[in-house]
Amino acid sequence: MSEMRAQLVATAEALFPTAPDWLALADAGFPFLLVSERQGGFGGDWGDAEAILRVAGATALAQPIGEAMVALALPENARWPHDGRLPALAAQVEGVVSADRFTGVLAAVPWGRAAGQVLADCNGRLLLLPAADHVAEGSSPAGEPRDTLHYADAPAQCVGHGELKAMGAFVRVAQSAGALAAALDLAVAHVNTRVQFGKPLARLQAVQQALAVLASEAAALGMASAALARALDAGDASFEIPAAKLRANLAITRGVAIAHQVHGAIGFTRDYPLHPFTRRLMGWRSDFGNDAFWADRLGTLAVTAGGAGLWADITRRGDR
Amino acid sequence: MTAVFALPPAPPLAGAAALRAAIRGFLAAHLPPGDATRRANSWSVADADFSRALGAAGYIGMVWPREYGGHERPALERYLVLEELLAAGAPVGAHWIADRQTGPLLLRYGTEAQRRKYLPGMAAGTLFACIGLSEPGAGSDLAGVRSRAEKIPGGWRINGQKLWTSGAHRAHAMLALLRSEAGSERGAGLSQFLIDLDTPGITIRPVIDLTGAHDFNEVFFDDVLVGDEALVGAEGNGWAQVTAELALERSGPERYLSSHALLVALIDAAGDNPVLRATIGQLTAELWTLRQMSLATAAKLAGGEDPVVEAAIVKDLGNDFEQRVPQLIQAVLDADLDGSTDLVRLLAHLLQVSPSFSLRGGTREILRGIIARGLGLR
Repeated sequence: MSEMRAQLVATAEALFPTAPDWLALADAGFPFLLVSERQGGFGGDWGDAEAILRVAGATALAQPIGEAMVALALPENARWPHDGRLPALAAQVEGVVSADRFTGVLAAVPWGRAAGQVLADCNGRLLLLPAADHVAEGSSPAGEPRDTLHYADAPAQCVGHGELKAMGAFVRVAQSAGALAAALDLAVAHVNTRVQFGKPLARLQAVQQALAVLASEAAALGMASAALARALDAGDASFEIPAAKLRANLAITRGVAIAHQVHGAIGFTRDYPLHPFTRRLMGWRSDFGNDAFWADRLGTLAVTAGGAGLWADITRRGDR
Repeated sequence: MTAVFALPPAPPLAGAAALRAAIRGFLAAHLPPGDATRRANSWSVADADFSRALGAAGYIGMVWPREYGGHERPALERYLVLEELLAAGAPVGAHWIADRQTGPLLLRYGTEAQRRKYLPGMAAGTLFACIGLSEPGAGSDLAGVRSRAEKIPGGWRINGQKLWTSGAHRAHAMLALLRSEAGSERGAGLSQFLIDLDTPGITIRPVIDLTGAHDFNEVFFDDVLVGDEALVGAEGNGWAQVTAELALERSGPERYLSSHALLVALIDAAGDNPVLRATIGQLTAELWTLRQMSLATAAKLAGGEDPVVEAAIVKDLGNDFEQRVPQLIQAVLDADLDGSTDLVRLLAHLLQVSPSFSLRGGTREILRGIIARGLGLR
């Protein structure tokens, strides 16, 4: 880990557990991690972002820090007013653009109600939109804001091209890696202290074997996340994004069930700190492309490459 | 954080593209035609001619010193060659154990005479080895080994029985774990011996597996006399040596690629079927992740460290994957398992053999016990 990354992680590990508000995060510079130094940011890479988002996941940070990083990093030569309001990310867009005006609806926008500006993906064109004309408030399964934003003839600036669903998937993968690792920590601590049948649960072989599976899933998710960040830094992650999101979703499916199972009833209570991880993890499976979406994408890439070509692609990308 | 797999992705290997091109060129010229099912689980498929050609091309004993027939290449170059061989379904079973386990063990613990006697033939792909660990009363509980070596002047007298010995009928030598101290218990009093299988008193009988194939054997030792030079490493140090040996065999690409030939066949047959594409996508995601994990563990091994827990995780997840590949494909493929296409024949074959994947080289339960120990639970 570079010295800069180690410092960023240490700062995040100190700040994120204090439930900072948006301004505190912005003051610490985290939203500008991926913005170039020339444009006033940190000039960090995707590996730096991945490390910070892991901390966000592991501390159940209730702020859209990843969405903001991406929304600030992707526009080409856009000037973001540092007005203290959130930049938001909209991957699901229905509407029309004509003569730099947008009319339509942005669905499932995390923290959309608080956004000062929104980066929206309109069939691969990235549009910079102002705060919405009308907001229909909603929430994720974990209780975080997920709003529908309505626009009528709003000013829209095309600031480049990209796929926000893919970048959002990266954010969720990295957060998931941190959150599942944190759920594993809680599970290990719980079975070491909870006594049943006259001994800690950790002494029961059935519990040991279950936690070994949870640890393996957390390991697979952590590796998928780190390898995805490396591919992004290598310049093209069109294969790695679907692969990592699919593996993350599998790890969540298997891992969350075990984390809850070994906790018993206490893990199902509002006061116990497991659900801030597991409820988010379960919701993130749907965010920015579910299994069906990314499996179709990756399966199509594989079939297009052919059986031998798939192996050639995987190794060529790994050798970069 | 409970970090039992805190490894970064392995950095790119310098010269990888040229090495891949070279081994792919070799495979294009030397991969034998034949039954498609021989491309599945191909590290259990023996072809002495292929092994000889591979050895002649310098792809066996790649990391060993030149003076013993090796090529002094970096460990990660060897890893690259292995994954290419397995992804192509090359029949590497004849020499696999000698290259992966027996040769490295001799380099670590063997005498100069043992190295000179065995390693050049192993690196040439003409001298094959097998593993003599399991016995009728010692499977997962390896410390239950009872076959014994009794000290006699100038050598040892060996009696007992090994079981589930893959490839013993093709191998020239067995690296056997034997009880060398009478009355000793568990891991104490065990030693390793490298025994030429043409020594009088050795009987090798096939144990036919459920597919009708002959891979396993039972090997009987009746007053087999070997010289002092058969002892490998220190007398009584067998348990520690075997433990080190097992770590070498758990995280390699053979732990997740055993069903790869089936995935390749499915991709080539999928066309625009959306259900098959979705299954291919799911499996490809796991394949990609496992390769990253196996490679990261190999990089740690190459750095001289001993990633016991990481290797157990790679093997457990990898075995689970290579067992679910045929299951998930069976669930979505509209095909009669009696069919004659390569795809269906690979599927039917792997459905039969895949239960063994989580048994060989450490069962799922043993591996999860190792991971649980890494978590501090036992």
